Amino acid sequence: MTLLLSLLLLALSIFPTDAPDEGQRGTFAITNARIETVTNGVIERGTVVIRDGLIESVGADVQPPADAEVIDGTGLTVYPGMIDGGTRLGLQEIGSLPETRDFREIGEVTPHMQALTAINPASTLIPITRLSGVTTVLTLPDGGMMPGTAALINLQGYTPNQLDAGFRGVVLDFPSSARRGWWDRRKPEEIEKQAKEAMDKLNDTWDEALLFARIDSAYQVAPDPKPTPEYVPEMEALAGVVRREVPLLIEVDAAKDITAAIGWVQEKNVRAIFTGVAEGWRVADELADAGIPVITGPVLSLPTRNSDRYDRAYANPGLMRDAGVQVALQTKEVENVRNLPYNAAYAAAYGMGREAALEAVTIVPARIFGVDDRLGSIEAGKAATLFVADGDPFETKTQVRHLFIDGYRLPMTSRQTELYDEYLNRTPGLTK
Amino acid sequence: MRFLFALSLLSLLALPAQAQDRPPLDPGVRPVTNTFAITNARVIPEPGRVLERATVVVRNGLIEAVGENVAAPFDADVIEGDSLTVYAGFIDGLGHAGIAEQESDDNERPRDPGNPPREAAGLTPDRDARTLLNPEDGSVEALRKLGFTVAHAVPHDGMLAGQGTIILLAGEAPEAMVLRGASSLFAQFDGASGAYPATPMGIMAVLRQQVRDAERMQTGEALYADNPAGLDRPTYDPTLSALAPTLRGKQPVFFAVDGVLEGHRALTIADELGLNLVLGGVRESSMLTDKLQASGVPVFVSLDLPERPEADSTAADSLGGDTLPTNRRTRSYADIEDEVIALNARRSEAIDLYERNALTLHEADVPFGFATLDAKTGDIRANLRRIVEAGLSEDDALAALTTTPAALLGLDRSLGTVEAGKMANLVVTDGSYFDEETSIRFVFVDGQRFEVDADEGFDAEAEVVVTGTWDYRVISDQQPMTGTMTITDDGGSLSGTINAQGVGTLTLDDLELSGNRLSFSVTSDAFGTIAFSGLVTADTYDAEMTGANIPPLTLSATRRPE
Amino acid sequence: MRYLFLLFLFAPAALAQPTGDLLIRGATVLTVTNGTLDNADVLVRDGKIAEIGEGLDAPRGVRTVDGSGRYLMPGIVDAHSHIGISSVNEATNPITAEVWTGDVLNPLDIRLYRALAGGVTSSHAMHGSANVIGGQNETLKHRWGLTDPEAWRFEGAPRTIKFALGENPTRVHGRGRGIRPASRMGVEMIVRDAFTEARRYRERQNEYEAARDEGRRMTPPPYDLRLETLADILDGEILVHTHSYRSDEILMLMEILEDFGVDRVTFQHVNEGFKIAPELAAFGAGASIFSDWYAYKFEVYYSTAYNAAILTRNGVRTSINSDSAELIRHLYHEAAKAQKYGGLSDDEALALITINPAWQLGIDDRVGSIEVGKDADLVLFDEHPLSVYAIPQLTVVDGIVRFDRAQDADDMRVFVDPEQIVDEATLNEHHRGHSHDESCLQDVATQDAWWLQ
Repeated sequence: MTLLLSLLLLALSIFPTDAPDEGQRGTFAITNARIETVTNGVIERGTVVIRDGLIESVGADVQPPADAEVIDGTGLTVYPGMIDGGTRLGLQEIGSLPETRDFREIGEVTPHMQALTAINPASTLIPITRLSGVTTVLTLPDGGMMPGTAALINLQGYTPNQLDAGFRGVVLDFPSSARRGWWDRRKPEEIEKQAKEAMDKLNDTWDEALLFARIDSAYQVAPDPKPTPEYVPEMEALAGVVRREVPLLIEVDAAKDITAAIGWVQEKNVRAIFTGVAEGWRVADELADAGIPVITGPVLSLPTRNSDRYDRAYANPGLMRDAGVQVALQTKEVENVRNLPYNAAYAAAYGMGREAALEAVTIVPARIFGVDDRLGSIEAGKAATLFVADGDPFETKTQVRHLFIDGYRLPMTSRQTELYDEYLNRTPGLTK
Repeated sequence: MRFLFALSLLSLLALPAQAQDRPPLDPGVRPVTNTFAITNARVIPEPGRVLERATVVVRNGLIEAVGENVAAPFDADVIEGDSLTVYAGFIDGLGHAGIAEQESDDNERPRDPGNPPREAAGLTPDRDARTLLNPEDGSVEALRKLGFTVAHAVPHDGMLAGQGTIILLAGEAPEAMVLRGASSLFAQFDGASGAYPATPMGIMAVLRQQVRDAERMQTGEALYADNPAGLDRPTYDPTLSALAPTLRGKQPVFFAVDGVLEGHRALTIADELGLNLVLGGVRESSMLTDKLQASGVPVFVSLDLPERPEADSTAADSLGGDTLPTNRRTRSYADIEDEVIALNARRSEAIDLYERNALTLHEADVPFGFATLDAKTGDIRANLRRIVEAGLSEDDALAALTTTPAALLGLDRSLGTVEAGKMANLVVTDGSYFDEETSIRFVFVDGQRFEVDADEGFDAEAEVVVTGTWDYRVISDQQPMTGTMTITDDGGSLSGTINAQGVGTLTLDDLELSGNRLSFSVTSDAFGTIAFSGLVTADTYDAEMTGANIPPLTLSATRRPE
Repeated sequence: MRYLFLLFLFAPAALAQPTGDLLIRGATVLTVTNGTLDNADVLVRDGKIAEIGEGLDAPRGVRTVDGSGRYLMPGIVDAHSHIGISSVNEATNPITAEVWTGDVLNPLDIRLYRALAGGVTSSHAMHGSANVIGGQNETLKHRWGLTDPEAWRFEGAPRTIKFALGENPTRVHGRGRGIRPASRMGVEMIVRDAFTEARRYRERQNEYEAARDEGRRMTPPPYDLRLETLADILDGEILVHTHSYRSDEILMLMEILEDFGVDRVTFQHVNEGFKIAPELAAFGAGASIFSDWYAYKFEVYYSTAYNAAILTRNGVRTSINSDSAELIRHLYHEAAKAQKYGGLSDDEALALITINPAWQLGIDDRVGSIEVGKDADLVLFDEHPLSVYAIPQLTVVDGIVRFDRAQDADDMRVFVDPEQIVDEATLNEHHRGHSHDESCLQDVATQDAWWLQ
């Protein structure tokens, strides 16, 4: 009997191994844990109660409800799920295989292409990512001047809609004066000419969008008896941008391009978020004055100039923040979005400080994306999107022990852990 | 379409036209004398020596006499030299004088890139520059006008491009230009296009392979020549056979190097394979000085210098002269201006190194001459001035143009100085060659006199407008050719096109406006490259046209009113 | 003319490189091979570790560095990189054993300084992976500031050569050009054919040399540098380093090597090494891996970041490499990932970037641990190097401080291109490219327009 009961308990306590397993919802209480709330300081010993997908309560004096499954958090710390401000997760499975790459559509101006449509909820990369405590990512289309509309997703669910975390932004690759890589051997005049042509095209597109929005607005006010406006899906996607309803995610890196982009944003009165911003530190005061939020990264990257100090990319987020810029971080990764905490750690070590770096992967991106009512900190009423670790999540050897997204308790397994379990002591070994 | 254009151009330019269309062949008038006397001139017989008032007599290609008490012979064409200076003719140590770039079929990648035909691999050490010479090639006259009388000319493409030849920069026919053939093997780190060897490391390996295999082949050939019985018959291999003089030490390897790293590589491989190395086209070699000193390898310094941006001097000034902060930190965005100043100062310092390169070699006692390889002809005199301003004495610069290259090329018994018995190669100027104001008046090559037209009408300070549409005419023996040419200004950089009515449009390459001189070139498969250069005055433009496949022609253009 | 006949007076490679003296006092010394010594002093004389102990005094004139509260570890060794060389891939033929990256060293490459700032004192400048048998590699010592390429060679390091299996050679040659190999079957036969030809070549050469020595007349066989090199591999003079991913191709190469009597091999990348860890251990092969790269191509899709732990636990000599000018700057962090993924001990994790790669390169008698008599290639950290917050403060090569975080200027270029615009930005794969890819295929694009996607 005892044996049977313990077997039954064992069976209940382990999760089925059939992937994907998107977890179980329930009422949980993480007790005796250290809690880094991010927005309200650190609770050295407290409890977090999770119910119906939300954080029901959090605090030092909170008692676990009777119906809650208790998770002993002694020696562990609770953190809000980390948010990566720029990835391609879900849109690419295997880098070199075009059949598994869905982030790029044909055409220079395709803002109506929706990243969310092509996100594969069953991507094996998703469980691998979230095991590091990254629960939410912005996934962006790429290629062309306006490659499409990015979507913020939570890394849990069976359909794109279940992953959807609400935020949308149209992506703009701002005309660039930078070399694209070591292999880019264009003459300086060529670079300048191409950037100018791109700028002209951008301005023309913007004018078209303004015109479309004006006609569309007029039609919406009184649809009859006017003729139906032309069907221009690209401009429909941009209408929200010119009306400041949808932000424009502007990818810009070189210092002089950032300056140009600030001018452009101010001239056109755009609701802008800058992404990349590799040389942001050079124009940090301009960025701060303009009040444009920045999603910078990857932090683990090389400086943009041979003459740069070696650690410039590591120091960039801190230098911008010191100047008063609102700074969030991104990895620009696909399979290794899991390294977001290490990008944050390098920013922290090279000047940003740990607290600001933690904010830059939690509450700051939540605010930039307008989802800080649900994400980015451990507060009652917010989504139960959090993780429990045995130490500082930026520290390399720290293990994430428990993981919740929207109140779903997720299995701590991925293909990578399964391969470890299978192969650590392979049977048969050398001989069969 | 292009074919049509080519056809029409060819016929208009009166090259291989119908027999009845040929102009009568004017035999001209024979020169009255082949004897010249430059009297009472300031003569620099060799660097460091001056004859203040001397006469130089030239007869039948040789210098007959030089001295302060020499009288002009009765049969001499006398040049009053009172205000003139006479130098020995200059020698270009390495370049492509008289050799046009070969038409390349690079577009087609070899079917098996690992085993390309040897031409595609760049392995043509048997290619003889003598067979490639063209006296009409624009470079011959252009270099001569600068005072060069002899050049070491090498083929263009490939890692082992071929054998160099030493030529006179004058001559009716290619044969007449040749002073000495097979004077060198020309090597460079020029990888094959889409084929083996494509990279510098591939080239290093191929050099080892070829030289060592050639040694093997020679051993085999010697055995066979001694007694063929029982031995494999040696097979003919043009690449390996052509390396024989190099292996026997009879032929120096002139290695053109771009940058200090290629310099190291050339020195290393030459040492390893026992080659007689000469480095050519060296732009900056301060990091190589020790090795050059130790190895005794001579150098031909490139006459191509990096441009010095105008803003540069300002940057250096604001740092308080020539001191460069060595431990600068740009801590934040607030220091950015200082950073740009520091970066400009470092670049300025780098440019200094290039300008001082000849001086550095001189101070290290590394024997050096100059090479026109890769240098724009139009910049050569100004660059020589920059080298002198950077500290190389005029005498040492002159030595690098005359006596040193003569010695390095093994021509010092006949060339390099103004002395009786030597070849009559002379440069006659109206002042110091290294003075900006000085004009070259005459150049003698092998006793033949060339009058150098002063660049009349050229004004470096002039500001002329060249944008717009121009109607042009090209005068030839046949009917004139007409068309239009359009030049536009895209924010500081000029671009343009030229068309011949009804046949096609070509881009103006290398379009450059310097003062009132406008120059550009046009390239087509049919006629190669034609260079245009001339002066703009108000709304007119007259340009000389030079190219390997056309006779000298003039283009006259008028700009349409706005 | 006389200049042309001058002898060369300099003897490259034989020149001794500059060395220094140094005393690092009171640091936590991570010896890697002999545990951790708290509050220990390390004395360096003439570029070698002379003494390790407590209370050591600096001889007159020897600089003392205060190591208290800091961590001293051996200089990091990267068994796979492509920096400091002017070309990476001679991608024109499936076999290019005769080319050698050591011919095209570039000590002016600023990426070398940046690696040094990440504590890396030696790297393995490898040929790329376009060819089944690529070129020979060079092992470097990061003597930043010395501009003569000869001064960068790790003097006495064994020769090594790059092989490449799987997708890269079959894509470049087979699918790109219609030239064998187009499959892993073809890859096997390319290697077998090459080894067999090399063996016969060497026999012919030996036969000729014997005839020549005995005074018999015989036509010398043609010289072939490619076959010479391959024959040197068979003679055990060159260590094989094989780019490889899938377990089957790794087993395939081990079989070939066994057939031809080659016993020293390190598998590079080897993402599926964990699947055949017992076989690798039995062969005595090394594994040089990425800490966590995967999914950038199909042959690395079934990967796990636990690779280092599984290999180590099964007794395979394992290293973590960079193959990247960025990653090489924080190999100590990459090593720490083997603690996250599989819980390796500190010494095991540090061995992944020190003594193990040194062994794979055949330089473990010189570097890779802090032991008396070894080269004084050292890094001083402000925190434990396996902490993500650790920042290298001082990097020492042959006893000479080559990187000093407190002293170095922003602009550390030794060569300034006078024709480059001073404020021009260059992005890199990290800024725009998202996905990792090996820098192994560098240069292929310029040799093959088709490759540009």
